[in-house]
Amino acid sequence: MRALTVPTIWSDLIGYRQLLLSLTWRDIRVRYKQSMLGIAWAVVLPLSMMLVFTFVFTRAIDTSSVLKIQMPYALYAYTGLVPWVFFSTSLAGCVNSLVANRNLVTKVYFPREVFPLSSVASSFVDFCIAAVVLIALMFYFDLAGEWAFAAHATLLFLPAVVLVQVALTVGLGMFLAMGNLFYRDVRQIFSVAVQLLMFVSAVVIPVPQDGSILARLISLNPLVPLIGAYRDCVIHGRLPDTGGFAYATTFAVAALIGGWICFRRASYKFAECI
Amino acid sequence: MSNSLVRFSHVSKRFRLGETHDSLRDLFSYGLNRLVGRHNGCARASTFWAVDDVDFEVTGDKPLGIIGPNGAGKSTVLKLLAGILRADKGSVEVRGRLAALIEIGAGFHGDLTGRENIFLNGAILGMSRAEIRSKLDAIVAFAGLERFLDMPVKRYSSGMYARLGFSIAAHVDPDILLVDEVLSVGDAVFRLRCAQRMRELVEGGTTLIFVTHNLDQMQSICPRAIVLSEGRCVFDGTSREAVGHYFSAMSRAYVSRPGDVQAGDVGENDAVELLGLRILNEAGEEVVWARAVEPLRAESRFRLHRPIERLVVELNMRSSSSENLLSVNSGRDGVTLNGTIGEHTVTLAMDDIPVCSGQYFWNVRIWDADRGTAELDTPFRFPLVIDDEGRATGIFCVDHEWSFGVSEAASPSYATSSKVLSCADLPSR
Repeated sequence: MRALTVPTIWSDLIGYRQLLLSLTWRDIRVRYKQSMLGIAWAVVLPLSMMLVFTFVFTRAIDTSSVLKIQMPYALYAYTGLVPWVFFSTSLAGCVNSLVANRNLVTKVYFPREVFPLSSVASSFVDFCIAAVVLIALMFYFDLAGEWAFAAHATLLFLPAVVLVQVALTVGLGMFLAMGNLFYRDVRQIFSVAVQLLMFVSAVVIPVPQDGSILARLISLNPLVPLIGAYRDCVIHGRLPDTGGFAYATTFAVAALIGGWICFRRASYKFAECI
Repeated sequence: MSNSLVRFSHVSKRFRLGETHDSLRDLFSYGLNRLVGRHNGCARASTFWAVDDVDFEVTGDKPLGIIGPNGAGKSTVLKLLAGILRADKGSVEVRGRLAALIEIGAGFHGDLTGRENIFLNGAILGMSRAEIRSKLDAIVAFAGLERFLDMPVKRYSSGMYARLGFSIAAHVDPDILLVDEVLSVGDAVFRLRCAQRMRELVEGGTTLIFVTHNLDQMQSICPRAIVLSEGRCVFDGTSREAVGHYFSAMSRAYVSRPGDVQAGDVGENDAVELLGLRILNEAGEEVVWARAVEPLRAESRFRLHRPIERLVVELNMRSSSSENLLSVNSGRDGVTLNGTIGEHTVTLAMDDIPVCSGQYFWNVRIWDADRGTAELDTPFRFPLVIDDEGRATGIFCVDHEWSFGVSEAASPSYATSSKVLSCADLPSR
């Protein structure tokens, strides 16, 4: 049992980076084995979700008067869905990461953090691929004349936004992974919660801002400023709202540290409780 | 010589017997019961010591064998050494790069090819990519899987799977290698190669800790062994002596007193009551462990509550996998007993029981030959451990000898014939 200090965590991670890479690579490889589209699914999934929501919110129900967005709806949905799919598939991977690797948890020793980390890392690869398609989509709407393409200087702020999201995802992922190891209910609760969370995170519809109790509750969700920050940097060409982004950053760092400490503390029990 | 070190100081490990809270509902009801001061069974699940105050130290190139009956705590010791489990008492100190082969191919993924799995499993066992790449050919050649390297391992046979798993682990070149009962897989040739590879590693300075039920292999690799029984270390010394302690520990693990009367020992209509079945050696001592070549007697004592004019005794022996290996019936041999009310003793004398090493179980049946009914039929609960002294594996063991000759170029005639090994010639242990 190693102590939880930054140097030991760092040296563990360096020592096991090979394993982290291998497990990440395995996750990606296995996900797209025996599938015809293969890695193209990384693009097809958010793209098809975008089409579904575009159909629902612009054709099935006309919400153009309610949704106050200054861009084509499809673009709004896609910029929300790319980080959202990264967030939700990462956590879905984390929830199962320890239980699905029961054999490794009970038969081989290495830092258990590797499991949730590799889940997040393999989803990150999909995220990068899906993000490239966003550029194509922006060109499309530019050509269609619905929107003016521009490469804003604020894109330089994008890595910081991604970093905050990764910290948040890893932190929550560690809680979920060990939670599900001890209590399998976590997986079920997660699958319902993630559905709800999508509609209160400004992914496909803006969150209410009318000062009601519901609106105030939703404003506690760190994903709202986070996903907003993606749109600010990429589409609007402005820096994200300082207060909201600072809140999301604080939340993410707290989740990361808290999750990692709890995970470390509990990890010696994993092999016997799984 | 390596300066690797494994120190296992008075280590104990406790496991819970009952299930812990497996769902949140259990946790809530447990918390609720705690609040109102009621305790339920789940909360007070009893515990047992899987490893109890085990103490040993291994240094340098002296391999250690760990043997013991199932459930003695061998695998738990390895998992404590590997860091998978944490000791409740005592301390575990490991110096050097450790590789644990607790289950072959633990990290394999069925959808990946053999080659991909080599890289994945190598990384799991702590090898770098460059290291694996440089050893890839050796690993594949050792496993003998050149043709199947790009096939998903889900299509591998279990033997191929195991060969690949061992081959990867055998090429890790750790300072300390933990091996848990993995060489029982694969065919005989592969098992020999595994043993050879382990010897090479030991000669190269690897500290080997080897858990096995294959006593011959253990003795040929490890000069020293410890015997675990019910979590405690009952012997620590030369592996040759350890084997004897292993068999007595094994007998203890399965029975406390084999002669005790249990349920099922009384016939259905209460005509016969078994008082005991004892296996006796030549000296007339009751044994639970015997050599395959020694004469034995099976003595059954029973009490009759009604007379059975033509009573037939039948003794059956099964292997630990419940195969019927032997059935002797006094009626078939033309012997019946005139059973009067009272106690009787029937003894069956056998020259030898030529089976391979293992645990065997006996039962007793008593027939009324006139009615054709079995008046008593016990479960197979009387154990006997047979030691064939390493002469054969399989089911049974025969007297055998080998001839060795040099054949001339044209004629296949055998020049010399020498008796190399014969059952009867083996010295007793």
